[in-house]
Amino acid sequence: MSHTFKGGVHPDYMKAPEIPVTVITPPPQVVIPMIQHIGAPNKPLVKKGDYVTMGQKIGENPAPVSAPVHASVSGTVVAVEPRPHPLGDMVMSVVIENDYKDTPCTDLPPLTEEQMHDSEAILERIREAGVVGMGGAMFPTAFKIRGGIGKVDKLIINGAECEPYLNGDHLTMLNYPEQLLRGIELVRIASCVEKAYYGIEENKQDAIDLLNSYHPERFGIEIVPEKVKYPQGAEKMQVKAVTDREVKPGGIPSGVGCNVVSTRTCYAVYQACYEGKPVIERIVSLAGSALQKPVNGLTRVGTPFAYLAEQCGGFVKPLRKIVLGGPMMGICATSLEAPNIKGTAGVLFFTEEEDRHVDNPTCIRCGKCIQVCPMNLEPVFMYMYYSKGDYANMEKYHITDCFECGSCSFNCPAHMPLTHAFKTAKLMFQAKAMKEKAAAEANAAKEASK
Amino acid sequence: MDETKKTPAAPAIAAKAPAKKAEAKPRIVLDVAYQPQVRTHRDTRSLMLDVIIGLLPVVCVSVWQYGFGTLLRIVMSVCSAVFFEWGYRKLTKKEQTIDDLSAAVTGLLMCLTLSPAIPIWLPIVGNFFAIVVVKQLYGGLGKNFLNPALAGRAFLAASYASAMSRWTVPNALRGVVDGITMATPLGQLYDQGFMPNYMQLDNLLFGTVPGAMGELSALAVLLGGIWLLWRRVISWRIPTATIGAVAILTLMAGHEGFTNLEWMSYNVLSGGLLLAAFFMATDYSTSPVTPRGMLVYGVGIGALTVLIRRYGGYPEGVSYAVLLMNLCSWALDKAFHRHQFGVTQADLDARKAAKKAAKEAAK
Repeated sequence: MSHTFKGGVHPDYMKAPEIPVTVITPPPQVVIPMIQHIGAPNKPLVKKGDYVTMGQKIGENPAPVSAPVHASVSGTVVAVEPRPHPLGDMVMSVVIENDYKDTPCTDLPPLTEEQMHDSEAILERIREAGVVGMGGAMFPTAFKIRGGIGKVDKLIINGAECEPYLNGDHLTMLNYPEQLLRGIELVRIASCVEKAYYGIEENKQDAIDLLNSYHPERFGIEIVPEKVKYPQGAEKMQVKAVTDREVKPGGIPSGVGCNVVSTRTCYAVYQACYEGKPVIERIVSLAGSALQKPVNGLTRVGTPFAYLAEQCGGFVKPLRKIVLGGPMMGICATSLEAPNIKGTAGVLFFTEEEDRHVDNPTCIRCGKCIQVCPMNLEPVFMYMYYSKGDYANMEKYHITDCFECGSCSFNCPAHMPLTHAFKTAKLMFQAKAMKEKAAAEANAAKEASK
Repeated sequence: MDETKKTPAAPAIAAKAPAKKAEAKPRIVLDVAYQPQVRTHRDTRSLMLDVIIGLLPVVCVSVWQYGFGTLLRIVMSVCSAVFFEWGYRKLTKKEQTIDDLSAAVTGLLMCLTLSPAIPIWLPIVGNFFAIVVVKQLYGGLGKNFLNPALAGRAFLAASYASAMSRWTVPNALRGVVDGITMATPLGQLYDQGFMPNYMQLDNLLFGTVPGAMGELSALAVLLGGIWLLWRRVISWRIPTATIGAVAILTLMAGHEGFTNLEWMSYNVLSGGLLLAAFFMATDYSTSPVTPRGMLVYGVGIGALTVLIRRYGGYPEGVSYAVLLMNLCSWALDKAFHRHQFGVTQADLDARKAAKKAAKEAAK
């Protein structure tokens, strides 16, 4: 019996792993935003006119929840200014004029054999190389692993890649199997656990067979085939499928002794430790009906979307939406000028074809949202209370447990904006909590001054 | 709740670009929406269309046994239901909803619960009640709390009792039975207490018995039910619980003159039980949506059906059983909440204990 979880949906997968990886020529100018992770924003280390080498650290913040950023090309810094960020808003960015020499930076030498067995050395390197959760969450990996040491007894590597359109993880498994296994081994050593479980969806059987032929047990890795179902790649679903443990409401996987690290992150750890290469490029799946054909491009961080589209032959249909990551949980970009960042696993150029938007959706109470919710929630009622603005009942129906996988909205025959509502409601809850906290603090200050 | 909002950033960029450039390059305004960015191919219309397709075998059997008069009644019923929905929405100046096909399904189902001998205008009266009073006055699709088709039928049964209980002889029994009308299998079971040789199990399966247009052949209904399950229009829970409850209760109860197994088979296969279990009880807006709620609801329908058939005034009880349980759906959903992900029984016990301790402390 293959490992899985309850609920979930089967979207049209639209995967194209058979398309070989194309190296996308770096653009004449790269834009490196100072925020490419969750946590404290980096401060630029360079100024206009500086010459930077490929892989040189150009932004940093000493706060523990942070990850530095590096130049993805060599060349001259032409601007340090706010630029459009892929996730919206303007963010301080370093703009580098590419000299097309790719002069390498030698700041990070490969780790020695001894260091490769030292958790602390590996963690230090992971941080220095700017490795973040490259499945899309972009949480600083070093901080995550450090937080789990002692608590975590099962390390889970996420190879589900359950989102439609995305092929980066699959292609990494096929193209760099041994490097990937070594990367996982490093993460396992850094986490101080004996064994890592590599959960891979069964639609990547060729990758499973290939990895098994490298004897993963030598690296302390067990490959766990999983049933093909979205959102298998969500952290909580991975933990459930591999260990049958359920993450507590509001908790994180380390609360039940698990840590989940993505495939691409492990490969980045390999590159950081064995090659001394920071995170400056990744395989980005470029697809969508606005493009002539899908491309799996090895893309430098900081390449603007407009340039990426040009490299794929430009648009054949009027563009409607740019989706970053997969279409189920992906966020819309607000500008064609924004660059791809470390967490961008795919850039989807959607036209009206993909958009099945309905103007005045009417709930028919079919309950199909309940059947697919992987968190055992009841979206039909959550939405009803949301429309009424009934906070107490929203809480009673555990709206904050929703991790916005989008399964309910996807499966809704009436096309109700369910996930949209829950995301908005969660933001309202956050704002409310902050307001209450501020009020309590103000009250306490008042009491004290009396 | 406008799902897609035009981004503020995109027009800003367009505004910055010089006018000439904007002419040469068409301005791109990007849509922004929260996830998911893709949707299922299914919509309300396709679900309703599947229900109509699922009912085709049943319609065919009724035409086979009662001729094209039934088809005429069915078409009239569907057209009137759609007309009333259209008319109501038009008069109240609301958005038209007839292309979701839900009104057509109501008209079709309603007609299938009636005798093939009913006057042709009767379904029209029933549809007025079903669509206007039961469905639209409560807000339309998804808001009504009674199954419109069954409520319409109940209205007709109360208002036109004699026309509603006149069962004519089907084509297969012409010559076998004298006269124009005869008792239905359920009438035979409960009023006469025996089954004549032309109402054996194979007759019930293939539909060579008298009865309402949609309840003749158990096989035809099952075929439609399997279609609905295969197309994932309905979940297995409600039909299984309903039919299972009837089967188990009648198997246990038994009846004089029948073996228990015979009694059970007759009860399950005759009357509108199967039609109701697959097509009526599973009506989206009037049935519970939580998994455990669905099971309890189904068992409730089954148990009430057995009780009404045995002790009630009508031999046919399933339509009232469904209507009664419709009224409980909301409460069942509230009572049978889903288990919260990541919360074990131990956690729940601890919470309860903490609550109790807090109460004690407050005292």
